[in-house]
Amino acid sequence: MGLIRCLVFASFTIFILNLNFTQKIVASEFEDTISLNNFGMPGDIDLPSATRLPDGQFSVSSSAFGGTIRVNLSFQILENLTGAFRYARVPGGRYKGYAWDRSFDLHYLVFKEKPIFPSVALGLRDFIGTGIYSGEYVVMTKSFGPDFKISGGVGWGRFAGYNGFTNIFSRSNRGGRDHGYGGTLETDNIFSGDNSPFLSLSYRASKKLQIISEFSSDGYYQEVSSPKGFNRRSDINIGIKYSVDPTLTVMATLMHMDTVGLTVNLGINPKNSPYQSGTEPAPMPILQKKYRSQDPNSEKDILAESKRLLKLEGIELKALKLFGNHVEVGIINRRYINISQMIGRVARILSLTTPPITREFQINIIDFKSNLVVSEITINREDFEDNELKFNGPENLFGSVTINNSNKLFFDNDQKEGNRLSWSFYPYLDLMLFDPDAPIRYHIGAELYGRYKVTPLTAISGSLRKPITGIMDEVKRGPKSGLPNVRSDFMYYHRDIGSNLFINFLTIDQYLKPLPNLYGVVNVGLLELMHAGVRSEIIWKNNKKPFAFGLDVANVQKRETSGNFNLKNEYYSTYLASIYYDLPRDWIVKFDFGKYLAGDLGSTLSINRSFNNGWEFGAYATLTDVPFSTFGEGSFEKGLIIKAPISWFTGKKSRAVASATIRPITGDGGAKLNLSKDKYLYNAISEYDTKNLQDNWKRVFR
Amino acid sequence: MNLKILILCVVAFLISCSSDDVVKKEKEEFYGIYRDFAKKSITGPTKSSRPLEGIERTSSWLSNFNQPIILISSTDFKNQATLIALGNNEEKLTWVSADGISLTYDQGILIATRGYSQDLYSLKYTSPKELFGSNRLSYKKVHRYLNSENKYNDLNFRCRAKKIPSKTIQILELELTIDRFTEECESEQYSYKNEFDLLAGTTIVIVSKQWISPANQYFLTYNMYAFQKT
Repeated sequence: MGLIRCLVFASFTIFILNLNFTQKIVASEFEDTISLNNFGMPGDIDLPSATRLPDGQFSVSSSAFGGTIRVNLSFQILENLTGAFRYARVPGGRYKGYAWDRSFDLHYLVFKEKPIFPSVALGLRDFIGTGIYSGEYVVMTKSFGPDFKISGGVGWGRFAGYNGFTNIFSRSNRGGRDHGYGGTLETDNIFSGDNSPFLSLSYRASKKLQIISEFSSDGYYQEVSSPKGFNRRSDINIGIKYSVDPTLTVMATLMHMDTVGLTVNLGINPKNSPYQSGTEPAPMPILQKKYRSQDPNSEKDILAESKRLLKLEGIELKALKLFGNHVEVGIINRRYINISQMIGRVARILSLTTPPITREFQINIIDFKSNLVVSEITINREDFEDNELKFNGPENLFGSVTINNSNKLFFDNDQKEGNRLSWSFYPYLDLMLFDPDAPIRYHIGAELYGRYKVTPLTAISGSLRKPITGIMDEVKRGPKSGLPNVRSDFMYYHRDIGSNLFINFLTIDQYLKPLPNLYGVVNVGLLELMHAGVRSEIIWKNNKKPFAFGLDVANVQKRETSGNFNLKNEYYSTYLASIYYDLPRDWIVKFDFGKYLAGDLGSTLSINRSFNNGWEFGAYATLTDVPFSTFGEGSFEKGLIIKAPISWFTGKKSRAVASATIRPITGDGGAKLNLSKDKYLYNAISEYDTKNLQDNWKRVFR
Repeated sequence: MNLKILILCVVAFLISCSSDDVVKKEKEEFYGIYRDFAKKSITGPTKSSRPLEGIERTSSWLSNFNQPIILISSTDFKNQATLIALGNNEEKLTWVSADGISLTYDQGILIATRGYSQDLYSLKYTSPKELFGSNRLSYKKVHRYLNSENKYNDLNFRCRAKKIPSKTIQILELELTIDRFTEECESEQYSYKNEFDLLAGTTIVIVSKQWISPANQYFLTYNMYAFQKT
């Protein structure tokens, strides 16, 4: 009987969908927030639709109605695949009458809309988590003209709350919701249990206004049974979406004809900077030798002039040596996130300052923090000048460019310049999310950072912090049990530090480069807020290869919770081997395996989608030999990573990147040390490799 | 947050500093993002604005410049700049403004810009000699831009150019007979009409109105160096 009803429903849907074969609604090229639903996924109000968002769009949305509050982060992972992470307050729970829930969704557009056929999408809602929103769906969408759209589908789990019928796949038994530790993939329940139809109609009344009506089968059982929730009076939801611009949409809803709601959707696309190719000043143009003074200059004069001009470009020239027909320079890049652009600017200045006999520019890039000479890039002067204004200039030039690991180990002249000490004093913000007692905890304070170069490869660096205000020291929950508390007792540190001055970290850092392809660092001291000891990292990286290998070993002792020099009698060791692979099409994969801080053995897989302009979105998961039950809430270590380059927002040259790691749960299993980002070598080395330069080479003449 | 804490936060913010200029700049830019959001001012690049209308453009004014200059202006004359020649690559001249904008011309045809948000990165074009030497011509033209991901965004145009009979214009205090050359181009999404005023009987462009990009639209160029004493 169930199958017949399903077939009738499907036939009816297809019939309706085929009434009109006109043009479909076209989404904007880069941002489309009007197509987001209350869950931050492609859809109308609460229901999904078989649409997709522009590739690369990152959306932040929040909806509130009838006691429910959802905050959604979603990302168009691939052209047809959308993923979302959600944190929701759900009526009916033990925290002042509410439950706080984290969930993950995936939505895949299987077929795009054709003149006759509708688009089809599959989706998994809350497939990793405690399952409050757990459900699956198949949905079809068809447009009728530019303004009218209809979506219909069949849903399981949460989607089959009302009007259900027998499972069309004959998987009638659906397990109960996981009230345990959550965080695991609930594969057994997928497309199981009863299923229900759902339908939504949307009409674009104007360019900015959309009117929607839904026939929703979601029962909202938990919400309606709570005094904090609402009454479900009908299957119907009604909504009006107003698109302020493609990046911002506001939606007002009447949910199940009982409670009004408001949703705000924000979206940005890393592919669409407000400053397009940037507003940094124009580079020095090429002035061919026949127009330049032919007077020979001394090497000292050339160095001084090159240094002056490069400083105007934001590049530090550290060394220059003329050798017959080639010049060798050592530079530090402190302003350009795009290395190809920086290389182009160095070549332009050298083209202007070096004598006509110089035919080759050999540019050695020195890493600012470590003083290690990372890459050596050789450019033929004539090719560079010839291609400056050619239509395919960058491509023509790249053929004659060579990129190698530099044979030079480190730069050693810096000591003479007397700039051994650097310091800064700035406010800082510490955030902690997902505590049910206070979902956003923070500390705002002041940070004094200092760094002193003892020798070219040795530095002492430290950070002192003084919290001024915040509620991070008020966490009520205690640490987890079952494993040594290497990370989950973080709240004791914030509690005991309170608003006192504390040492965030204080280390001696020794850098090494025993071979052209081998880079190393040893850190000794107070490594981070919770651990002190010795840590060493070695990276093997051939600049011509897209992969690298690393080894990170540490022997640490737990710091006292007051943030001073005192240590606890708790000792831990960790060793992790890493494989890095920079895949084609902008995916970076990292695989770690070994022993984690709490002594557990396992591995971490992290996958990041990177954009040429510096944006990165990624996720990681760590599975170790710690049982999920021992790990506790969340079952295993996992998180999301977002990196946003400041230059994208300002249009100016800058290497600054704002980054955030969103960890749904902090546990002790799979825990790693958490040193400041600049103490990890791989990123500093890999940005100067062939792949990164090639991916961005089009910018060499910008 | 009580008043004391608020004051402490403000003081911490105000006395923020660094021994390192790069760190200082990066922090300023970081806070600038919030400031810009607050001001709702992510609008695009700032452009120099010196009203051309207020400048008496005479030969004596021009004699103040001891190096070749050009004047550029938006079509509404609100954004203007004086540029000097800093680059010469195979007779393609690159002119640079004080605020870091550069424009490159091949015998009067604008072939590249730098420093605008949507720069004309490069141009595939018909040679000026061929273009200005004919009375009527049809050809293809490609405008190349770099997008935010450092990939090319090419706009393919089909163009028709024609010469209009001589007429007279005034520039500085001189009355000049010019040949006007118009270039009408169309792509799938965009169309534009460029105008070149050439010194009569020559291929020397004196004044031009040329389309740069969808965001930047047209710019006027006054090739003052044609009137400067060498």
